[in-house]
Amino acid sequence: MYAIAIHGGAGAVPRATLSPEREQRYRAGLEAALDGGYAVLERGGSSLDAVTAAVRVLEDDPCFNAGRGAALTRDGAAELDAAIMDGRQQRAGAVASVRHIKNPVELARRVMEKSRHVLLVGAGAEEFALEEGFCLVPNLYFRTPERQSQLEHEQRGERVSDLVPPTRGTVGAVACDRDGNLAAATSTGGMTNKRPGRVGDSPIIGAGTYAKNGVCAVSATGHGEYFIRAVAAHHVCAAVEYRGLTLELAIAELLHDILRGLGGDGGLIGVDRGGQIVMDFSTEGMYRGARDSAGRSEIAIY
Amino acid sequence: MSRPHSNPLTSLALAAAVLLRAAPLVAADPPVVIVIHGGAGVIERARMTAEREASYRAGLAAALDAGYAVLEGGGSALDAVGAAVRTMEDDPQFNAGRGAVLNHDGICELDAAIMDGSGPRAGAVAGVRHVKNPIDLARLVMDNSPHVLLAGQGAEEFALAQGVVLVPESYFITPLRLRELEEEKRAAASRPPTAPLPIRPPAPKGMGTVGAVALDRTGHLAAATSTGGISNKLYGRIGDTPIIGAGTYAGESCAVSGTGQGEFYIRQVVAYDICAMVQYQHLTLARAVEVMMHDKLKRTGGEGGVIALDHDGNFAMDFNSAGMHRGVRDSRGRRDIAMYRDAN
Repeated sequence: MYAIAIHGGAGAVPRATLSPEREQRYRAGLEAALDGGYAVLERGGSSLDAVTAAVRVLEDDPCFNAGRGAALTRDGAAELDAAIMDGRQQRAGAVASVRHIKNPVELARRVMEKSRHVLLVGAGAEEFALEEGFCLVPNLYFRTPERQSQLEHEQRGERVSDLVPPTRGTVGAVACDRDGNLAAATSTGGMTNKRPGRVGDSPIIGAGTYAKNGVCAVSATGHGEYFIRAVAAHHVCAAVEYRGLTLELAIAELLHDILRGLGGDGGLIGVDRGGQIVMDFSTEGMYRGARDSAGRSEIAIY
Repeated sequence: MSRPHSNPLTSLALAAAVLLRAAPLVAADPPVVIVIHGGAGVIERARMTAEREASYRAGLAAALDAGYAVLEGGGSALDAVGAAVRTMEDDPQFNAGRGAVLNHDGICELDAAIMDGSGPRAGAVAGVRHVKNPIDLARLVMDNSPHVLLAGQGAEEFALAQGVVLVPESYFITPLRLRELEEEKRAAASRPPTAPLPIRPPAPKGMGTVGAVALDRTGHLAAATSTGGISNKLYGRIGDTPIIGAGTYAGESCAVSGTGQGEFYIRQVVAYDICAMVQYQHLTLARAVEVMMHDKLKRTGGEGGVIALDHDGNFAMDFNSAGMHRGVRDSRGRRDIAMYRDAN
């Protein structure tokens, strides 16, 4: 069985504040990402290619907090983080605080495949991108009027009412391919009004992203600082591998027990070695979608 | 600067305990303990002069005693690991703070992390260039910011806002590291700079990250790690040191600090995985560390060492490289400093 799940961020998503038009846009965006990833699996491609494809679609969609349309830092710029992990050999690549990379998930993948490192940050990561033949884009490419007004609201001390799309959100994907290989990828702009240089859980292998063949692949979204302290994604894998918990239980324990105990909320998606998908969250909602070769197909927000 | 306890019987017992890499203790009176490392790598007797060895031992002893003094005075594990690591950051022999290895541009880019097992709370900085004691800035991130990890200029902006005095890049640079960079650049010229991480890379010469784990009187654990990373590094590379769970982790029952080939430590989530094996597979700390260093990490080709400590005061100092600068001191009279494979 092959399967893919995606998320587009978790947070307070009150039904009332989400107009039917906007909801339709989010659903269409999730659908497109799911299609992109699932098509790869369907034609026999790898889970690694599938999660890359799905996350790239979400990065290009200004609705979601990653790539174009990412949340803005205190100084009004987009600073992007991303990570990808291949469950086969547990190879991983990640970038943090890049400002001119159209698709950070692709650069993370390049770090994994073409560098001797796992995590590259800031200007150094962009230097590597240039050497790898990436075209840099101006930071303006990422900024949308909606994010700018969110930043202004936040800086005036007004709570952003609906967090739509959630400003602590993130996008991510997990997949299991025909060969049973697992992969996970996560990409984000981080929190609105974040201090420049702040790095959340997305590019931290073990916190926001983890994959291990024979166990599970996990991508997280939520209040990153809590996910880092809890080593969230690896914690889920360890609970499955060492305690024999089902993925569903492992994720539920992390979200509703451990993270809640620490005061953090968010969501996780995961796929286990059998291709079973789990999507859970402790927030009001999570933009999410799942599709597998056994016929499961869903898009949901609440 | 070898052990201060010269009684041959005590020495023998201590050596035996170190060989076993862990010392189970009676539960009755929980001790205060600090364990430190000053890096793992090709540390072999044959390559070491008597002066250099004495100097390393003195440096380790100073850090060990600085940390222990905090614990002895009733201070917290958090303050103790901070004091021990700060001492090694100030000592130019170690690859952290002053004397850290240089990046491709001849500049020190420093990473550090600290974690309080009783929160869990954590703070980390990556790629800072003007902060004398990165471990102190990591602590400020933990104590005074809502964040865990700050990188580069943003981290230094935060430092200034916190009243930290920045130092020039030249403060960190030592002649030894400049020579090493030249050598590394010559060696690197023969291999492409963007060659992918090999499955089994050649062992690097030295990985001098510093770190400490401690258990205080109230039974709290803490861990801290600080490094300059790898010589000749490019592209803003960040290793495992500031990554909570990879090079640094402390929970209620276990604290770990690592030193080695950071990329492998990140992929295996080494520090947290050791604690997970203890907690969930009910392995002893020593066994979990052994599984990590000699099985999991070795299988993927990763080289280095870790120090670990549990809430009963059991500790482990283990490595799969030739040697590791290390030391342990506790309230039961143990005070060991070692560098080589054979417990000395």
